[in-house]
Parts: sequence; structure tokens; C-alpha cells
Amino acid sequence: MFATYDEAMQSLEQVDIVDICLPTYLHKTYVMKAADDGKHVICEKPIARHLDDAKEMIEYCKARNVRLFIGQVLRFFPEYREAKRQLDQGAIGTPAIVRTTRASAFPQASNHWYADFEKSGGVILDMIVHDFDFLRWCFGEVERVYAKGMLGRGFYALDYALVTLRFASGVIAHVEGSWAHDSFRMKFEIAGKTGILDYDSARDQPLVAVSRGPKSEFGGVAVPESPLKRNPYFVELQHFLSCIEQNAEPLVTAGDAYEALRIALAAIDSIRTGQPVTLR
Amino acid sequence: MKVGIISFAHMHAYSYAHALKRIAGVELAGIADDNEERGRKYADVFGTVYVGNYEELLKLDIDAVVVTSENAKHREHVVAAAKAGKHVLCEKPLATTVKDGQEMIDACRENGVLLQTAFPVRFHPAVIRAKQLIGEGKIGRVLAIKGTNHGQNPGGWFVDPALSGGGAVFDHTVHVVDLMRWFMSSEVKEVYAEADNLISDTPIDDCGILSLEFENGVFATLDCSWSRNKTFPTWGDVTMEIVGTAGTISLDAFNQKINLYSDEKGHKYQYWGDDMDEGLVADFIGSVRSGKKEAFITGEDGLRAVEVALAAYQAAEQHAPVMIRS
Repeated sequence: MFATYDEAMQSLEQVDIVDICLPTYLHKTYVMKAADDGKHVICEKPIARHLDDAKEMIEYCKARNVRLFIGQVLRFFPEYREAKRQLDQGAIGTPAIVRTTRASAFPQASNHWYADFEKSGGVILDMIVHDFDFLRWCFGEVERVYAKGMLGRGFYALDYALVTLRFASGVIAHVEGSWAHDSFRMKFEIAGKTGILDYDSARDQPLVAVSRGPKSEFGGVAVPESPLKRNPYFVELQHFLSCIEQNAEPLVTAGDAYEALRIALAAIDSIRTGQPVTLR
Repeated sequence: MKVGIISFAHMHAYSYAHALKRIAGVELAGIADDNEERGRKYADVFGTVYVGNYEELLKLDIDAVVVTSENAKHREHVVAAAKAGKHVLCEKPLATTVKDGQEMIDACRENGVLLQTAFPVRFHPAVIRAKQLIGEGKIGRVLAIKGTNHGQNPGGWFVDPALSGGGAVFDHTVHVVDLMRWFMSSEVKEVYAEADNLISDTPIDDCGILSLEFENGVFATLDCSWSRNKTFPTWGDVTMEIVGTAGTISLDAFNQKINLYSDEKGHKYQYWGDDMDEGLVADFIGSVRSGKKEAFITGEDGLRAVEVALAAYQAAEQHAPVMIRS
């Protein structure tokens, strides 16, 4: 373990890839540092806090001939992949109206950086940027964004946002993001002309463990798991590595991450102005 | 007490008639319907008389009427009933225009009869409990509500705007908007909506997401889509996710069910919860009997919800939020 990036770089014999899991507002600095060192970069989502930063990061890596991958990991979650596969097979006909949920308790982290909107972008940029990427993967480009959220309504130790997306294809999507609930949950429902797909992580659980005893540690708390031979984060990293080795296009590009960020920032803009934001 | 029903165009007439039959001392005195075949059929089913048109029904010695005609005919039927001195329980949405709704309210007031809007969900025990929990401060101050009222496309006159006033947005906005208003005693200030015809081949709005801003600073969304297909295990839902400063409430009113897996019918939810239509009708009859000056759910309650649905259409058209009141 090293205290700093520089210490690691000086001490290690060979580094091919740098995986950046820093808070959002630090992504740009360290992506550019790694690119300067000629390392390929895998960076946590969202790509950046601001659009111009994201653009600069993409161009910077390109100019230095290093690959840049953004961990929009939802595309590697089997439940979401299966939904996409069903859609592509026409299982529900032309998609029409979609609902997604991503909810958890308010995240705790060093220096409470999540609670600083200027650093994290709140629940919209940190949580439902996942759903924006997934929805764009499934339904194409977003035409219009309208959103309501806690931003500007006074400070509570929670965040909550309800976003409506209108796609160029006509699809309407409602995206719920919450840091106001007590446990993690994700859901989707996709209604099409001839069928419906739905998933709810709180309902569709293969394993729940509960320890009896006092409510400390894990005692008295149900711990749900959805074990897989290879978890989605592993699959994602493996995919990015093979893209580097084979010089192939990834399932989700930095450009896709840029577009997901654009949707998220449009939602934040819409909350601030009270008006819909047109993206195209 | 004698009660008549004007039209079985809306399928809720069936359960309201059942509810009337179950109340001691209440007689279903007759059915009027501009569709004679339908009128005679239900007169038979409920052991009452088919009287022909509504003017004939209003000549009878009855105390009250249930108006379950097509939405666009509510005004004509309610105003006539009011002028004949009959108390009215009117199916939702109250009217297809604000002007019609106001005329109905005024006519009932001038003639000293009750006008109750049929929002039966207010009588669902889980809904009543949610209101109670909010009132007790269990989740602190309400900050936001995410609502749904999904359903199947009912077809028939519901998809003819001349008779219905609109599609899913008109049909399914009013219930949950009424619940939100009732829970918070606050009015909707501003409405935004995305709505379209995306599922059915009949050109009428069947998908919609409304975003609402309330006078008390609470924001909300409402999915009013007819997005339940025929293989979905149930007709639809009424749900509300209510986020407060100190907790959350997840309401899924009709999630009192057992699962049926049938080789003939497929997978179905079999509801075993209480019958809210019975509560609605019993409340209306109780108000008439006790000579109340105002119904529990007023014509104004019905009209406020209609205003929101009409504003949603305007917002969807303009791609801009619409102010209802400043």
C-alpha cells in the first residue's frame, strides 16, 4: 500500500493500468497524471463533475495514446444485460414507458464528500447516472429532460430526485434516485407494446442471511446477496483488460460516459431552472 | 332511502350498485341508460327497473343518484339531478372541462343537494393508514411523493376523447392527485408532463408522467399510464412512495393478494383486501341520511384534480410547466 499516487508510481516496477476510484471531483487530476505517465486508465463513474472536464480527459488520453474506460458498470450487471437482450429480441415489442429506481441510505465517505454537492453532484450524478447510461444504451439518445429534486429545498441528510427523460424514439422514462432510504434497492420496469419486463432487487433475491443477536455489526440485520461466479465489477475489469490487449472497442466507451454525464447535468439544470432541458 | 343510477357506461356502476344493494334501508329504485340493452341488462342483474332516459329517472321519488355516464355527459346529468333536488355521487373525473365542473358544483349548491366525487381510494384501509402515519409525524415532514396509478387500456368510449375528455392522463391522474391533496391539505401549484400515445393503436394518450409542485413545497411525480397488458397478473395499481425528513412510507394499496397460477388464466393476483367502493357508497349514503351540508369528498375536490389533468395536457403540448395557481 502506498500513501500517494506518486509514491506508487516510483516504487512499482511495472504499471500498465491505473484504476481510479477517487471521489468524482478528483477524477480529472488523476486521469491526467496517469495519462502523463503513459498508463491506460480505468476510472470510476461518473466520468467527471463537469462536462468540460470530461471532454478534456477524453481528449487528453487520446492525445497521449492511452485508453480511457469509465466504470458505468450497470452494462455488466446480468439483470440489466438480460433486459437489454430481451429488448433487442423484441420480447416486449416497441418499448413505450420505463420506470427505474436506485435507492440507498446517504453514503458515508471520507470528508463527507458525497454531502458536498459541488464535489459529488448528489444523488443524480452519483447514483442515477448509472440508469441514464443503461437507458441510453437501450433506447438511444435523450431529447428532453425534466427533473425535480431536493436541491435548493434546504439541507437534510438525504437527497431525492425524480427525473423524466423523453427519448428521440418517443420512449418516456421515469428515473428515481434516492439517498433517503435505509437500504440499497434497484428496480426497473419496461412496458412495451406487447409485453412488460420488470426487476426488483428487494424482491428477486436468491439469498438472505440474518444473524440473531443484538443489533450490532450484522446482528439482527438481514444481509441480502446475489452471488455470481463472476461479479459484475470483475466482468467489467476483465472486459476492459481484454479491450486493451486486443485494441477493441469496449461495451461502454468514455463517450457513452460523457453522454450519461450530460443527461445528469441536464437534470440538475432542470431542477435549478424549473424548466425542461432539451439535449438535441 | 331510494337511489337511482344514471348510466352503466362506466364499469364502476356495477360495484356501486352492488354496494347500494348491501346497505340496509337503501333501495335501488331504478336505472336510466341511453343504451337500452345495457340498462335493461343491469336492471335485471340488480332486480330493479329500467326507466329509459335520465329525465324519467329524475321524475321518480328518489333521494339521490349515482352518475356513472361517460365523462362528457356528467355535466348534463348532474345539473339535471341537482335541479330535480337529488343528491349526487358522480364518477371521476368530475367533468371534462373546468367550466362544466364549476357549473355542476354551482347547480348542486343552488339546489341544496350534495355533490360527492367518487374517489373510492380514500376508503382503502392502507391509504387511510398512510394518511394517519403522516399525520402522526412518523416520517417527519413530507418532502416528496412518487405516485403511480397504472391500468389497462379500457377501450370503448374511454379512448374517444369526445366522450372521455382524454386518455390515460385524464383517467388516471385524478385518483392519486386527490390522495396527495388529501394527505397534505395542499394544492398543486405547477404541473409538467410528458404524455403520448405509445402503446395502443388507437390514437389517444396511453402513457404519461406528471411532475407536480405543491404549494407546501413538496414535489411529486405521477405515472398515470395504461401500461398493464393482458398478461400482467393484475389490472393495475395505486402506489405512493412518500419521502419525509424522518422516514419513508411505501404504499401499494392493492398488494393484499394471493398469487394464482392457472393453466387457463396464467398468473393472476387474487385481491383479498377490503372493498373500497363499498366504503365510498356507504359514506355518501350516510352523508345524505344525516343531512350533511357538505360531502366528505366534494365537487371542488373533483374539480381540483381535473385541473391538474388538464394542465398536464397543456404542459405536454408546450414542453413547459404550467402554473395552476401562483
